[in-house]
Amino acid sequence: MRVAYWPGCVSRGFTPELHGSMELVAPLLDIELIELDRANCCGAGVIAEHNQELVDTLNARTFAMAQRVAGSAGMMNICSTCQGAQSECQQRLDADDDYRRLINQHLRPEGLEYKRGDDWTNKNLLWLLVEEIGLEKLRERVVRPLEGLRVAPFYGCYIVRPTGRLGYGEFPDRDRYLEWVIDAVGATPVEYAGSHKCCGFPVITMNKATSLRQAGRHLADAIDADADCLVTPCPLCHLNLDLQQPDAAKFVERPLDIPVLHFPQMIGLALGLEPKELGMGKHVVRTRDVERKVAALAAV
Amino acid sequence: MPDYTLKIRRYDPESGDAAYWQDFTVDLAPERSVLDGILRARDQEDGSLSIRCSCQAAICGSCGVRINGKSALACNTKLSDAAERAQRGGINNEATSNGAIVVEPMGNMPVLKDLIVDMDAVHWKKIQRVVPWLLPEGEPPEREYIVDAEAMIDVTQSMACIQCGACVSACLSMEVDPEFIGPAALAKAYRFVGDPRDAHHEDRLRDLAEDPHGIYDCTHCFACIEVCPKDVAPMSQIMRLRRRATGDYAIKDSNNGYGHEKAFVDIVERWGTLHEAQLLPRSFGDGSLVKGQTRPAAVKQLIDSAPAALRGLARGKVSPRKVLIHPKLPDQKEVRRIYEEIEGRDERIELNLYIVGEEGEGGADDKEPVQGESGAES
Amino acid sequence: MPQHDVLVIGAGLAGMRAALAAAEEGASVGVISKVHPVRSHSNAAQGGINAALNPEDSWESHAFDTIKGSDYLGDQDAIEIMCREAPQELLHLEHLGVTFHRNEEGKLGTRAFGGASAARTYYVADITGQAILHVLYEQLMKHSEVFRYEEWFTTALLQQDDGAMAGVVGRNIRDGSMELFPAKTVILASGGNGQVYNPTTNALVCTGDGIALAYRIGAPLMDMEMVQYHPTTLAGNGLLITEGARGEGAHLYNAEGERFMEKYAPNKMELASRDVVSRAEQTEINEGRGFPDGTVSLDITKVPRKRIHEALREIINVGRDFAGVDITREPIHIKPGNHYTMGGVKTDFEGRTPIAGLYAAGEVACVSVHGGNRLGANSLLDTLIFGRRAGQDAARYASDTGMPKPSYASLSAEQGAIEAIIRRERTGRRVSEIKAELGATMDKYAAVFREEDGLRTALEIVKRLQQEATTTATDDKGSVFNQDALGALELGYMLDNAELIVMGALERKESRGAQFRTDYPARDDEHWLKHINLSVNGEIPEVSYSDVTITQWQPEARTY
Repeated sequence: MRVAYWPGCVSRGFTPELHGSMELVAPLLDIELIELDRANCCGAGVIAEHNQELVDTLNARTFAMAQRVAGSAGMMNICSTCQGAQSECQQRLDADDDYRRLINQHLRPEGLEYKRGDDWTNKNLLWLLVEEIGLEKLRERVVRPLEGLRVAPFYGCYIVRPTGRLGYGEFPDRDRYLEWVIDAVGATPVEYAGSHKCCGFPVITMNKATSLRQAGRHLADAIDADADCLVTPCPLCHLNLDLQQPDAAKFVERPLDIPVLHFPQMIGLALGLEPKELGMGKHVVRTRDVERKVAALAAV
Repeated sequence: MPDYTLKIRRYDPESGDAAYWQDFTVDLAPERSVLDGILRARDQEDGSLSIRCSCQAAICGSCGVRINGKSALACNTKLSDAAERAQRGGINNEATSNGAIVVEPMGNMPVLKDLIVDMDAVHWKKIQRVVPWLLPEGEPPEREYIVDAEAMIDVTQSMACIQCGACVSACLSMEVDPEFIGPAALAKAYRFVGDPRDAHHEDRLRDLAEDPHGIYDCTHCFACIEVCPKDVAPMSQIMRLRRRATGDYAIKDSNNGYGHEKAFVDIVERWGTLHEAQLLPRSFGDGSLVKGQTRPAAVKQLIDSAPAALRGLARGKVSPRKVLIHPKLPDQKEVRRIYEEIEGRDERIELNLYIVGEEGEGGADDKEPVQGESGAES
Repeated sequence: MPQHDVLVIGAGLAGMRAALAAAEEGASVGVISKVHPVRSHSNAAQGGINAALNPEDSWESHAFDTIKGSDYLGDQDAIEIMCREAPQELLHLEHLGVTFHRNEEGKLGTRAFGGASAARTYYVADITGQAILHVLYEQLMKHSEVFRYEEWFTTALLQQDDGAMAGVVGRNIRDGSMELFPAKTVILASGGNGQVYNPTTNALVCTGDGIALAYRIGAPLMDMEMVQYHPTTLAGNGLLITEGARGEGAHLYNAEGERFMEKYAPNKMELASRDVVSRAEQTEINEGRGFPDGTVSLDITKVPRKRIHEALREIINVGRDFAGVDITREPIHIKPGNHYTMGGVKTDFEGRTPIAGLYAAGEVACVSVHGGNRLGANSLLDTLIFGRRAGQDAARYASDTGMPKPSYASLSAEQGAIEAIIRRERTGRRVSEIKAELGATMDKYAAVFREEDGLRTALEIVKRLQQEATTTATDDKGSVFNQDALGALELGYMLDNAELIVMGALERKESRGAQFRTDYPARDDEHWLKHINLSVNGEIPEVSYSDVTITQWQPEARTY
């Protein structure tokens, strides 16, 4: 399956291990990535807060580039925030013909146009994996079932809410997919209070306490539920849950030491890739215990 | 008619006992509401089961509860939908439901009895906080104020709020910061900031921007939008408050709200993608890299956030080179041109889906007849 | 002890408007409401508020439409006041911040409404009542000098030895404590009695409390038989579809696809008076041209989609959430349903009752501006105009009256009565059973079409239910939010209301406005162009009559 691939800014910035692991995992799932290397930032909700027309134009630009990728099954992203920010723009672009024409005028000098199409989709890897590739195929490809590994899912708000905008009408189980995939790769999904809540990242520069109390609380809940690690399809969540974890511990006044995997890393482990090549050494919270468990599995 | 089991959180403050769960089975048609179910249980089994309710039509805002973990009005949640959700296994049910519809009092507010919470202690206190009445300038005109028709429709979205508290109940920021002014009160604030008759837009915005628990304490989690039974989209109203605060009045708040927005927007204009290493220093300096690295308050914040940055460096996530040099997009001039076209205009164009409807009028583009150019309304 | 010059019972539009007006006059004001003010049923007024504000329109035209709509039972002096003062009241609301719809020039815009000869209905989408209610509450929050007793239930009105008002007894719903509220004046603004019927568009709080409280201390009630059935309510749950839908261009069809209003009101069609449209629908249904669920259909798809989103948004939600119908794409099944109490506590146009210091305004009152049938978008107006007038007059009255000293004996009597209900062992039926039988009875015998035998049957049933109500018991034995005990009190109020509605309907042997007697199918101005007043008098209410005030519009045949 060929997809127009939008990796997002953070996966090539502060979480380079995400982009790296995606590139390794893609061929193992028969995904051909055509990277949109000329596309721009999705705005992450911040440009939307600044100027709606601007953010809609910037994302229409990305969509238009993706629509030009010949033979692609649509656009794929690997970031909950990109997904949510882009879906918001797409909803407006699709809702009103006049508005879409206005936005497209800004793209014309570049020879681009976003076309509303009933079949054209922009899906993050999680949705694409479950809905297009299928969990059956994933199960077939698993060479190292992650048996015994207890994984706490962390979705990221942008692919959970608002359901009306995010295709839950057609796919009502999108808030269960992470559990399904965790199960499909042989690991055990852990139920805990924070799975669909907010990591707090968007206010890290504005209100550190509000931000890190959220991250800290969810990490603590996952630890209390005996999770070995968290897995998230959102690199921004990863920043608050992993990079900021030592600070988050201060805000919730308890030690926290739980690794946080990127979604493609977890898939990669099950597909036989090694922690090191998946960039797990780049995490702030050491992934040693997870690696040990995985290594033990390999030995079996 | 099918039987539905409601698992209801009970609490009697006079008993001295802790809250507990009680199951009620009611025999009602699937399209009837959860409120109908609760009232049936009250009418036929236990008259002491307490819930505020009145209109049964989602307009009085009395019957806010949490159904299968999600804040909602009991009167406009169908039993069949709630049961389906319960069967599927709701998110974060506190009770193990075994397929029963779980009904709890709203969150973030103290429980007074059964499904009744203290709205005064939280919700109405916060509403009062935003000076919730119109403050026009001088004496009113002899006739009506002349105002733009679109502006009135625009604020009618927040006027549509029925003060049910569902958003307050669901607010994830308030869960960790009880002092957060919160979605309902901030939506109420927009009802005045968006109202051309109010003469204190800037004062209101400055107040809400400077408050550490104000507009920049919203974590952008969409929980309020998701649960609002009236499509008020409180978070969208908060974003509009931010847009007005920064865009119309350039209010440089001490929470870095202005700086963060300006930094982000400027970085994308300059590089096309996010240059994360510059986001923090620029945010702390009202958007300016120089200020952010020299102004004492900004420097202190930078130092506070240094450990995280150092951890990133130590793990090889971030290379020193990456901190200093961020590649521009190949066609960065196009992004810049788009910025100039849009930001160069005086007006901001917004498409409010509340007004035009969320589904498009037409089908896919290739099925549409070609039409002439026409600008959207501003 | 909380004491006030002016104590308002009820915090919907009439109550809040009265409170603000009285406070503006310098009175010390308290507002008691059994629900938080913004939960009041004024919320439900969707379509708008009438005022002859346009230069091309005139208050006379508005008054004539109202009088004709009332089937000439409205008092023309009161109607003149309401219609003359409407524009100023509307502008006052606009100045307070109500987000009324604007036209392209940025001025107040109007929509068409039933029974009106001009488009004079001002509106906020289809949440007009809600918008005004919330703006008035904003004003109450601003004017913190007005004491708010939110979630307090009024159990009795108290009189001085000379019969003048002395105050009320109230129960704090939150903790069960009871309090004596001395007051120089009491303004009843507690709304209508729709819960007497089932189904009804009315909220659960609309239990006719004020009507019963006033009746019990001897205030006369007027035209209680005049109960409006709204033409467009959902089958089953009785939810309201605003008349604004027809105002915006929606049509009514029977099951045979016929736009039947052509037969009944060839000129105004769907926008005839509500009694006319409801009777037309019920006739179609009774004669077998309705749908199997006992309905006809309302087709809103005639209205452009953008306009629906802009102006009828609430109806989209109601259709989707409560009927599973997308009203922008398909017709919705509707039928006439109980909606409004035209009758009520008899007042003059300052809101005064014959009991000194007791006032009433809004749906609880009968001035009478609605007579036999209220026009759409006149109810909000009634609440505001007469709420304000009552507030002002009460403040004036209070300024030269001493603070009464009601006896604590009345407080303990009320306490004792409620405790007796709470302590009572269950020997009979549940409150809910009695209420359900009452609602079904009234909807069967005292609805769009009525006749002697049915009304007699209804009266017998109501009498029996009154007996049964004395043996109900509560499951809740506590003090905090004992809604169970309050339900028993409300049931008592409702049964009083029901009895008086049926008595009035039996008494009026003609067909006028909402009262259609199949055994007396014609309007009979010679004998019945008069108000029917009912006053407490032991077991059977005393009936008396009063003249209808006619100023310049003589009764004519009524066609639309």
